Amino acid sequence: MMNRTFFAPLAFTLGLTAAVAASAQTLTMGVRGGPESLDPHFSALGSHAEAAKHIFDTLVWSGTDLQIEPGLATSWKPIDEDTWEFKLREGVKFHDGSDFDAEDVKFSIERIPVVTGPTTTAIYVRRVASVDIIDPYTLHINTDGQAATLPNDFIRLFIVSSDAAADYSTPETASQGFNSGAATIGTGPYKFVSWVPNGDLVLERNDDYWRGMGAWETVIRKEIPNDSSRLAALKAGQVDIINYVSSVDYLALERDASIDAVTGDSVYIMNLQLDQREETPMVRAIDGSDLDENPFRNILVRQAIDQAIDRETMVDIVLEGLGRPANQMMPPGFFGSNDSIPMSEYNPDRARELLTEAGYPEGFEVDLYCTADRLPGDAAICQGLGQMLTQVGIKTNVNAISRTVYFPAQARLDYSMFMNGWGTLTGEASYTLGGLAHSNDPEVKLGAFNRIQYANPEVDMLLQAGAKMMDPVERRATYEEAMEKVMADKAYISIVQLQTVWAAQAGMLEFEPRFDEDTLAFFITPAS
Amino acid sequence: MLGFVIQRFLQAVMVMAVMSVIVFFGVYAIGNPIDIVIPPDATQEIRAEAIRRLGLDRPLYEQYFIFITNLLQGDMGRSFVYNVPVLELIGGRLPATLELVLISVISATVLGVTLGIYAGYRPDSWVSKTIMAVSVLGFSVPSFWVGLILILFFAVNLGWLPAGGRGETVLIWGTAWSFPTLNGLSHIALPAINLALFKLAMMIRLARAGTREIMLTDTIKFARAAGLSEATILRRHLLKLISIPIITVFGLELGSTLAFAVVTETIFSWPGVGKLIIDSIAVLDRPVMVAYLILVAFLFVTINFVIDLVFALIDPRVRHGASA
Repeated sequence: MMNRTFFAPLAFTLGLTAAVAASAQTLTMGVRGGPESLDPHFSALGSHAEAAKHIFDTLVWSGTDLQIEPGLATSWKPIDEDTWEFKLREGVKFHDGSDFDAEDVKFSIERIPVVTGPTTTAIYVRRVASVDIIDPYTLHINTDGQAATLPNDFIRLFIVSSDAAADYSTPETASQGFNSGAATIGTGPYKFVSWVPNGDLVLERNDDYWRGMGAWETVIRKEIPNDSSRLAALKAGQVDIINYVSSVDYLALERDASIDAVTGDSVYIMNLQLDQREETPMVRAIDGSDLDENPFRNILVRQAIDQAIDRETMVDIVLEGLGRPANQMMPPGFFGSNDSIPMSEYNPDRARELLTEAGYPEGFEVDLYCTADRLPGDAAICQGLGQMLTQVGIKTNVNAISRTVYFPAQARLDYSMFMNGWGTLTGEASYTLGGLAHSNDPEVKLGAFNRIQYANPEVDMLLQAGAKMMDPVERRATYEEAMEKVMADKAYISIVQLQTVWAAQAGMLEFEPRFDEDTLAFFITPAS
Repeated sequence: MLGFVIQRFLQAVMVMAVMSVIVFFGVYAIGNPIDIVIPPDATQEIRAEAIRRLGLDRPLYEQYFIFITNLLQGDMGRSFVYNVPVLELIGGRLPATLELVLISVISATVLGVTLGIYAGYRPDSWVSKTIMAVSVLGFSVPSFWVGLILILFFAVNLGWLPAGGRGETVLIWGTAWSFPTLNGLSHIALPAINLALFKLAMMIRLARAGTREIMLTDTIKFARAAGLSEATILRRHLLKLISIPIITVFGLELGSTLAFAVVTETIFSWPGVGKLIIDSIAVLDRPVMVAYLILVAFLFVTINFVIDLVFALIDPRVRHGASA
């Protein structure tokens, strides 16, 4: 690293060509989080998958806008109600020179439920009942019932070598085999060199990569969790690119000519969630006495809350412009997002009228809970919400707390009104609506994250039907309809879509932001 | 002496047992770690399966009993988050913290005691007054802020030292250490200074107070009357007499810095145990938290024990008191 620090000013004086020539060898990325292990099947955490994508390929690739594209599978189609056929890419080689074929895919799918950690990767193969190898490059995947979104599930299905990982596929041996490099044999753009947990992941180029050769001979992925430290490392020339620049730093960077900032839309949308149970714990009258009923069950109250929120101010003031007002739980353009849903109008007077109509002329008091350390701006949005709601008469006590406390309490249904972000990482609606908007019903495996006991029978019906529709046009229309109904009920009130900022040494790199916020060395190129 | 050792040992076991109970039950009270780490598209069934795999579906007393049984067989369990044995996980991070802490605590002590003795020996000189003024800063400025300023000044503006990370390491006895390489040392410098500042200030104040007190005693007068040189008096008599509180504080600081260098490790991205424990708390990785705090309790008991032994070696009053 010392070399780079000395080299940076030198290259500057020698001119741009020297700078590019020097940096074309090595790319050093400063990232916020890292993998928990180098076993790609251990965790479904975003930073884990991001690191794994450098070494391993997925069966189905998700592109910059989360559209699904061929990966190690070149094509797929349903051949009957509960079977999908996947054709595999021929001529792909693992880093150790062995051939990739159907055996590796079957091995990887069957390995996942055995070795997964608590951030369970079992979700990627939850619909798989069994795998049949038809020939070395054709697979039949039998599902438990109709699984229309199976290819979407496979965007983080990493393929490991069935030979190299054979001995490292029990919970006890997996991390050891992969962390040491013995089993870390993938087909991806970079080969494993070394890894220090929470430190540096060092990679070298895979010259035989099927997508073509990467631009960097060596890639170093440095974990720097503190936002200020990450930016300092960039400014000091220790790293070439960093992710997750905070909104405060972003303002300062706009005046700094030596650093380029790149902003990208994120999949994360902040949703306010209103408990729909008959009895809700954290609501009371202004004088502290109990209310006769849960006010959030009244649609007028929910509409009042929706109209009390000034989304433009949230974006411009609270998020320093790093976001967009949101009207539904997914960004526009995603599979199942509905363009006809209107943006909620900010109208505090109307909100007060609605509260009066609903029988709360004096308003009421509620405790609002939010995460404070999970996504950029979450605590600030929470405070903004508190002020806006209090202005229309709903006295809101803001509690922006650590996710460590928030999520377990949310799962226990301790809260009445709460807000956290939700990212539609697969780019399609069954992921989001299936988890949040269906009533919580283990029988049909839907609604696991519906922590407000929201239940709309029409929505339930649409979501169950949509999960079985193999025709994408029909399915899309079904999810759009479901989305419209859910948002009209206003038990979930979407507030803002977040944006993410990357920063790099000025004029050095070309890089297209991805919706899922991944920072992937293969897709970063030296500036031409 | 043997009785003393046994008593200390029993004390250590008690502290560690209490610690394990508090942490175990405290973490349980916060909530289910699964709900923090589970991916958002998991079904109810997958969630239940994940909970079962970690044994979190069993009653708490049973979980604790299993933990204690394994512990007595020398197995501290596996991290929920990293899926490696906890001891291996902590052991892997310990060298990084150890070298950082030893370098900073030892240099703070050597420099602090030297400056402190000077300030106590010549209390009225302007150098002493400067030393004391600077030591106030060391106490009062928060260390995370100092850390960021150090980075800003030495790494970003001047570009002399790296902004974070561990740099080159060499393997000694199978573990990676940074201090033997020049590059590694350049990475240690800033975090070590950051960690050392508070301790330096404290050592200066302790040494100065001790010096001022001892210089007025008969011991020094007699030593001077015996014609010993000032340097010999300072080295042979004064240093020994002021060292009891300094060693006590040294030990405690060593322990607490080893255990809780969290802020510095986070700001400088130093992959040590402090960062590990903070990450583990964030996701309620109970095996790591319990094991770590038990080890910390053990560390403190050990350090206190060693300090008691050192007292006896250094100060004849303690030695004779103990044998009487």
